[in-house]
Amino acid sequence: MIELNNVTKQYDSLAAVNQVSFSVNAGEYFALLGPNGAGKTTIVKMMLDFTRPTSGMLSLNGLPSTNEACRAAVGYLAENHHIPPRLSGWQYLLRCAELLDMSPSDAIDQCRRIVELIGMQGREGTKVETYSKGMVQRFGLGAALIGNPKLLILDEPTAGLDPIGIREIRLLLESLKNQGMTVFLNSHLLSEVEKICDTAAIINCGKLLVKDKISTILKDGETLEEVFIRFVKG
Amino acid sequence: MNTSQALSPVLRIAKYTLTDEVRQKSFVILFAICAIFVFLMRGCYQGSYLVNGQLLTAETVVRSVSKVTFQIIAAGVMLITALFSMRVFRRDRSEGMQTCILSKPIARWQYVMGKVIGLWVLSVLFMVILHSIVFFIASMSLKTLMAEYLIASVLCSFNLLFVVVSVLLLSLLMADIVAFLCVMAIGIGSFVADGISALSHSQIAQMMQQPGAHPQSDMTFWTLIYPVWPKLSGVQQLASSVISSEAFPALDATYPLINIVLYCLALGWLLFKRFGSEDIV
Repeated sequence: MIELNNVTKQYDSLAAVNQVSFSVNAGEYFALLGPNGAGKTTIVKMMLDFTRPTSGMLSLNGLPSTNEACRAAVGYLAENHHIPPRLSGWQYLLRCAELLDMSPSDAIDQCRRIVELIGMQGREGTKVETYSKGMVQRFGLGAALIGNPKLLILDEPTAGLDPIGIREIRLLLESLKNQGMTVFLNSHLLSEVEKICDTAAIINCGKLLVKDKISTILKDGETLEEVFIRFVKG
Repeated sequence: MNTSQALSPVLRIAKYTLTDEVRQKSFVILFAICAIFVFLMRGCYQGSYLVNGQLLTAETVVRSVSKVTFQIIAAGVMLITALFSMRVFRRDRSEGMQTCILSKPIARWQYVMGKVIGLWVLSVLFMVILHSIVFFIASMSLKTLMAEYLIASVLCSFNLLFVVVSVLLLSLLMADIVAFLCVMAIGIGSFVADGISALSHSQIAQMMQQPGAHPQSDMTFWTLIYPVWPKLSGVQQLASSVISSEAFPALDATYPLINIVLYCLALGWLLFKRFGSEDIV
């Protein structure tokens, strides 16, 4: 589903991502972990062709990331997600559906389903400028789910959310697990990752430190937080 | 991917660009001010004007006033178009629409093309509506249909395309306000240069030249730059000549239009190239 082969991203003398290789299989819930500035968001941006790697190859759904067709079945929620404040949540979802070339009736059906899924019935018609951060995040996640994507890329989906908001996003992601969706999660919240992900990779200073099943990474009753600190601090 | 599949997201992005701009309060205010200005000009059509002691005919007055109004609208809409265009990429970026669109199976050229078409259609509509008011008032005053106004309006739309493409390109390379000022400087340069050129070829200038004096060398920096400078003023003069049915030398008539079309193509190509290599943040 996702394949990174010796990917390097160089910004002048700084290697934001350095010879990273890993793959994520279909149906897997994968977490990319790392401290701030480790290169997690750069990897996500390269996967979506927002920035090009200096060297190496990335592919999504079997196609190179530079081919826009590889994003046909991909849903994406950006870090610090924004929605134009003049739009309502409903208009935003409808735009996202239309951009996927859906017919008007299909787009409306999908948006209704999504509004229900994210629990925003009754608020979808009001302008985004009146929404809380959590509501914007929910609509962002809803927009990523439009078109029933096979792969969901979530960059810090719980950033800025309160514990209730974090729990709601986690429950939503857990409910999607039995639909066979592949999830690529970029997060700092290790406790949440431990609860929902099957596989994790830890990255620091652009280098991949480990990539394995979470159950394999955790040894002798360790928590993911302890493992993370052990790897990052060397 | 066939043509209709490729064009579908382009047209959608163009539609969103257009509707987003129209929803802005600044757009509504600007449009209202422009429409009021055009309506206020209505009073000038009924005046009695004396030139060299001779009273001008009603037809001459209507044609002259409507031509001046036409030129002011065409130049003013260029300024407004530059204002609309300069913030488009930045706003899309800050409001998350750029990442939202480009995370879908949409190529960057489709996104840029949608933005260009949306802004161009919006500014052309803006100009055509204002020109139509002039056209309507002039036609009513002369009791004859003056379709040449709309043809002239179409000609001026190429200037708007130039402004859209150049401001979008420059806004990727520098601060928005600097991009706006650069394009305005190009426009002002074009009008000033054409004015100086017209003046230097006028009868007064010819008469002021000393008899027997050798004309100065033409190979100055400006005489090299002048022919290749964007001919925004030239296109407006061409449009104006359509209205007044003035005789326009054949080569001069088409050159400004060709110049602007070539600039649009070249700057458009640079815009697609530059945006293609941009990092999306």
